[in-house]
Amino acid sequence: MLRIGRAQISVSRWQLGYESRIQLWGILFILPTILFFMIFKYGPMLWAIYLSFTGYDIVTEPKFIGLNNYINIFKDPIFLQALNNTLIYIMGSTIAITVLGLGLALIINTGIKASRFFMSSMFLTNIMPILAVCLVWRFLFHPYGLVNQFLSPLGLGRIDWLTNSYLALPAIIIVTAWRFAPYFMVVFLAGLLAVPKEIYEAADIDGVTPISRFLRITLPMISPIVFFVVVVSALLCARIFLMPFIITGGGPGGATRVLSMLIYETGFSYLKMGRAAAISVILFLIMMVFTILQIRFFSKTEEY
Amino acid sequence: MGKRIATFWSLEWLGLLPLAAFTFLIVLPIVWMISTSFQSGEKMYQLTTEWIPSVFHWENYPNGLSRAAFPRFFLNSFIISAAVMIGNLIFCTLAGYGLSKYRFRGDKILLLLILSTLMLPMEVTLVPTFLIIRKLNWLNTYQGIFAPLLIDAFGIFLMRQFMLRIPTDYIEAARIDGAGEFKILWKIIIPQCKPAIATMAIFSFRDSWDQFIWPLVVVSVDEYRTYPLGLVRFGEDYGNPPTEQMAIAVLATIPVFLIFWILQRSLRTGFTMSGLKG
Repeated sequence: MLRIGRAQISVSRWQLGYESRIQLWGILFILPTILFFMIFKYGPMLWAIYLSFTGYDIVTEPKFIGLNNYINIFKDPIFLQALNNTLIYIMGSTIAITVLGLGLALIINTGIKASRFFMSSMFLTNIMPILAVCLVWRFLFHPYGLVNQFLSPLGLGRIDWLTNSYLALPAIIIVTAWRFAPYFMVVFLAGLLAVPKEIYEAADIDGVTPISRFLRITLPMISPIVFFVVVVSALLCARIFLMPFIITGGGPGGATRVLSMLIYETGFSYLKMGRAAAISVILFLIMMVFTILQIRFFSKTEEY
Repeated sequence: MGKRIATFWSLEWLGLLPLAAFTFLIVLPIVWMISTSFQSGEKMYQLTTEWIPSVFHWENYPNGLSRAAFPRFFLNSFIISAAVMIGNLIFCTLAGYGLSKYRFRGDKILLLLILSTLMLPMEVTLVPTFLIIRKLNWLNTYQGIFAPLLIDAFGIFLMRQFMLRIPTDYIEAARIDGAGEFKILWKIIIPQCKPAIATMAIFSFRDSWDQFIWPLVVVSVDEYRTYPLGLVRFGEDYGNPPTEQMAIAVLATIPVFLIFWILQRSLRTGFTMSGLKG
């Protein structure tokens, strides 16, 4: 009897443990990732926030200086210019990527022949190493380069794309659109394909014009995708480093210096780690705005 | 009826033109890169572009490679990208599985915490991550370069979204049959996630193959330099012809292109779900 009782107890204990043991496996699968993010994402971010209140040059110990780094960077015209450039770049690139990506997706979605050929050739821009992209475009934008050769029939003369402070940032936005618009075209296309065909058929019977068809049906139906692309490309552009670093080196006169470049220069050329950390916190805040929008988007479109 | 067919055709032609024009513009810089890599040095400074070189200068490739320790740089890039790819494949699959098929207290908060790391890219955490790697004495080592890149929230998100579609009944049935959790993951889940895994593989490889700012900060010796660092310095050294720089750029494109080519079929499905990445 005693033996049976014990067996019964252990069985029920085992059954109680069954659910939580499965749960434990779930936690176990996620654990390495959580540890990794603690060490290489959240830990560094907290450290950056701490460092942003100190003066630190790697050689001597960090010295607490309160809000001085923040006060100083907001007095610094170089930082303000970089902040301005970053925001303009995010806006310009996001608009270019969204408009081009959606436009291309709309054309391909009309069921054009050879659309697969167009898609895969466009996709080449996305698998080319980004450094190769930058090097090629630096040559193309050269005063005697391909871009000016193409524009010469228009009689615009020799345009100094990369040394004119008004044209350098737009030139980088063009490269950005070239690299990313075809990719987001695929994302848009997936959204367009999900729009029920019946709606269009009904509209056709009612004799709706193509323009109002787009404005009244297509756009409202894919507005979540548009929002998604805008947020993701903004996140992507906020952290841009290599394009201005290679194509213009931040010039002319800082016209294309963005925040990530300033972090690198401040921290690793001038060894002002505390100040670089303060700039990182500002960049982080910009990225946080877009990330919150993105996460809210996810939680709206699906149940967690 | 006839009118509808007519509008259909005119629409098709109206669309074809900008599409063809745009594809042309998209492909042109790539063609330029390949063509220039075979061009002779002096032709670069002419005012017109010779699209098909009159003489193919194949020697640009071996010459370019020998200007610096490029074979070594490419090897380093391979080792690091392979490590990052394997790290992502293992840990993102595990975490994606844990987040999609297990319910426990705090699972939503964990998902949120993981997704939030998308706002903490290397550009933001550059200074403290450098200080961590320096404390570990990992400056100028392979692990110093790939360790901070080993897991990317994008891969976890992709895997989770994909796994959510797999019916939980399969898993329950396998558990009743006495299969362990690892066995279920390996035998039931992973075979159904091939498109997502292929997408993750190519993106994680491409991203670490492209990685620039991080090696720039942690590496200072040729022994561990990756190819982007070598390629950038290539242009700075006086007398190195740009044609040879383009030759190396072409070589750098080939590995990503091959992976893309091999995984292409699986990508088509995984791709539509991967809108997080650029």
